[in-house]
Amino acid sequence: MTEKILEVKDLEFSFDTYAGEVHAIRGVSFHINRSESLAIVGESGCGKSVTVQSIMRLVPTPPGRLKGGKIFYFGKDITNYSDRQMEKLRGKEMSMIFQDPMTSLNPTMRIGRQISEGIKKHEKISPDEARKRSVNLLKEVGISDPERNIMRYPHMYSGGMRQRVMIAIALACNPKILFADEPTTSLDVTTQAQILEVMNHLKQEFEMAIVLITHNLGIVARFAERISVMYAGKIVETGKTDDIFYDPRHPYTWGLLNSVPAVGKKRTEKLPTIKGTPPDLFMPPKGCAFYDRCEYRMKVCKENDPPERMIGEGHYASCWLLDERAPGIKPYVVKRHAGESSGKGLM
Amino acid sequence: MVRYIFRRLLISLLTLWLLATITFFMLRLLPGNPFQTDQILTFEMQERMMNYYGLNRPIIEQYFTYMGNLLQGNMGYSLKYTNRTVNSIIAKAFPVSADLGLRSLALALPVGLFLGIASARKRGKAVDYLCVIISVIGVSIPSFILGSFLQYIFALKLRILPMAQWTTEMHKVLPTVAIALGLLATLTRIMRASMLEVTTQDYVKTAKSKGLSEGKIVWSHEIRNALIPILTMMGPMVASVLMGTFVIEKIFAIPGLGLHFVNSITGLDYTMTMGLTVFFGAFLVTANFLVDIAYGIVDPRIRIAK
Amino acid sequence: MIKDFAGIPRDEFEFVGETEEKSEVLTRPSISFWKDVWRRLFKNKVAMTGLIIILAIALFSIIIPELSSYSYSQQNLRNINAAPSSEHWFGTDSLGRDLWVRIWVGARVSLAVGIFGSIIPSLIGVVIGGISGYFGGKVDMIIMRLIDIIICIPQMIYIILIMLVIGSGPVPLIIAFAITGWMGSARNVRGLILKIKQEEFVLASRILGAPHGYIIFKHLVPNTLGIVVVSMTLGVPAAIFQEAYLSFIGLGIKPPIPSWGQLANLGTSVFRIFPTQLLIPAIMISLTMLSFNLFGDGLRDALDPKLRS
Repeated sequence: MTEKILEVKDLEFSFDTYAGEVHAIRGVSFHINRSESLAIVGESGCGKSVTVQSIMRLVPTPPGRLKGGKIFYFGKDITNYSDRQMEKLRGKEMSMIFQDPMTSLNPTMRIGRQISEGIKKHEKISPDEARKRSVNLLKEVGISDPERNIMRYPHMYSGGMRQRVMIAIALACNPKILFADEPTTSLDVTTQAQILEVMNHLKQEFEMAIVLITHNLGIVARFAERISVMYAGKIVETGKTDDIFYDPRHPYTWGLLNSVPAVGKKRTEKLPTIKGTPPDLFMPPKGCAFYDRCEYRMKVCKENDPPERMIGEGHYASCWLLDERAPGIKPYVVKRHAGESSGKGLM
Repeated sequence: MVRYIFRRLLISLLTLWLLATITFFMLRLLPGNPFQTDQILTFEMQERMMNYYGLNRPIIEQYFTYMGNLLQGNMGYSLKYTNRTVNSIIAKAFPVSADLGLRSLALALPVGLFLGIASARKRGKAVDYLCVIISVIGVSIPSFILGSFLQYIFALKLRILPMAQWTTEMHKVLPTVAIALGLLATLTRIMRASMLEVTTQDYVKTAKSKGLSEGKIVWSHEIRNALIPILTMMGPMVASVLMGTFVIEKIFAIPGLGLHFVNSITGLDYTMTMGLTVFFGAFLVTANFLVDIAYGIVDPRIRIAK
Repeated sequence: MIKDFAGIPRDEFEFVGETEEKSEVLTRPSISFWKDVWRRLFKNKVAMTGLIIILAIALFSIIIPELSSYSYSQQNLRNINAAPSSEHWFGTDSLGRDLWVRIWVGARVSLAVGIFGSIIPSLIGVVIGGISGYFGGKVDMIIMRLIDIIICIPQMIYIILIMLVIGSGPVPLIIAFAITGWMGSARNVRGLILKIKQEEFVLASRILGAPHGYIIFKHLVPNTLGIVVVSMTLGVPAAIFQEAYLSFIGLGIKPPIPSWGQLANLGTSVFRIFPTQLLIPAIMISLTMLSFNLFGDGLRDALDPKLRS
């Protein structure tokens, strides 16, 4: 089903600080379809968290400021929704889980209440009903003995458990979209896998779209149907997972793919990195933001920001290399790992 | 939780013991012989002093006599008020001071907390600046100076409130305000800082992402957590109210324990000073202990160990 | 803004050379930590105002008594309780002493007691807290438990007891502060050192074999210096307040040596008739406390790494 439930057009968002304006998001466009999983990938500071948080208006506005662009939810323009209107959307239509589970729960409130709080806000149900639903939600996220656990406090739990509680909270009212802002970054690898499993299972069961923010390409391959690559406040490439992994077109994407440690590679080879650092967003560059670090840069790239070009169905990238006037280059060779399946993402 | 209470109890008892011991030795160290004051003590008085302080016996015995007396709640005799024990003075004057202290707390707490919350929420706006000004001034002007000013303005110049003493409700207004203002200033400052700290916490973002209204977030999530550091400040606050009563009672001629304490110092009534010191110490240690228990109950991280 | 991308000539699409190293260059020049602190402090007008007032008062307290024709203890019983006049700029007190001189001599006393009464206990606290934090283990536990016990009683009560025994005056006062005021500082420094000890750069130093002294001076001191200075600065108004309080209840500084607290005390007894005798010392106390508070707050904000832009 490819029904667009969320559409973001040319979003611009800045922070007004003592030292000047930080252009965190400089024109981002993407969409999400019902029940699909989209991953937004990029390094720290590229603006991926700010993007989704600004959609839900969770960024404090001072110092943040929405400069431009539009956001459509099921076709309705929600860009200028009042606080009251946004409150109705949050929790009920879209919800979010955050990066650090250790600090994302109120330490002085019981877990059950933190779950049922959200339900009570959006639906008229009795306390008993609310309690039952909280218990069920804990079961769904894989927490055993839920009856007792709803009475407990967050400090008694490990990071992985707390993240599951966060998921339960986020799912309480069956939202259509779940934004997962680096949900596994602060967890160890085993727990990471578990959490992704939980999210995967729930996505199918609740028919929910998930937007996964991460800097870890490794987890994206098995989880996402579509990927958007973000750099310095802009999306540089978007496409289906297969497209991004097997036919990437933006030099930054190549850099990211190269730097994923490959199983089977010789241990004596140095791990490739992309030289340099992202540009200062106080004074964003006129041309392509990746210019300083790009091996394939051309004169035109310095002064002109490349427009988005279509490569295939649903596959877009913003790079001057795609222009017909650009010289041809060797096609990027995908470095395959041993034992990798060639199927699509698991959903 | 039990371990926590036990620990606090142990420390409290040790503190009391320490204080009693220090006062014992201080008495011995006083220049000259405090018992040879200008007054000629009557024979009975001397007898009583001898018995209470065991002055003719070796130090160790004196110490145990003294400690024994304290444990029984006997605080000694006054050198000035020849017929009175420290205990009887406490019994008469303490209720007055307690009244003053409680009123000050009852005024300062709600107002201070409210202003702290308001100034944190409307940060950068007029309310915030006003509260910051009030709190900075309140912290910089000692209560006895403030008390004198209040007397001057409201009692002398405007003549709407009485100058001194503690008889009617009207009498009680100025002294209460004098103590409460300083406390209020501190409370506002701390509550503001605490609220600002809490507002940037991740769990507030989580609460917002559920779609909860602003009011609910502030009440259930922010204030609840911001109050915890305030609770830990309650001990020192009670102490500062106590200190405040000493000087305010002097200015307003209120017959409370603070006044007696100050008079005992200027009047060289050493035994009274010592006795009252031990009493105040015990009072504060108890208050601190109660605050510790309250804190243990309120913060689930302490109440329910992992 | 839609540019005419079609109009860009083909030769613009030539490759530029190897990735230059310049992208590794930090995009903003890094300023040294202390320079940044100074810069932020100077920008803070409120804090600077506080500093100027403090320096002005200190300066006056040094110069003015030297210039005056009256001494602080000189009595003139024929001119008591005079209002401010051209002869006595602040008037006279109930014994005919010139208040102008007494205020500024009192300034010397109150400032000295305030400053030393803050610095000395702080330093004692730094040493004790430093030892406790650095060596850890049993030493740390014993010292901390002791502090836990002592600190239950308010400092003022200890000071009162001590002053009863050693008498009053500026020096006994400073001694009393020193004996009773180091605990807070000790706790803070100890906590800070424990935190720094965990940091990896200290671990690295020790692995590389640096001696204790080196670690202390190169790592621990620079990181704690800022906090210690701030707490010393903010400790001054507290000490001034305590001196005023003690003088008020008859213990701090006794006549004829003036201090602001004592002058305030003397002033309260005649306040209803001669208000200036209380107002002037009261204003001096409050103004000085306020200035130190503002400057100290500014100093603390300037040192806060989170506010670095």
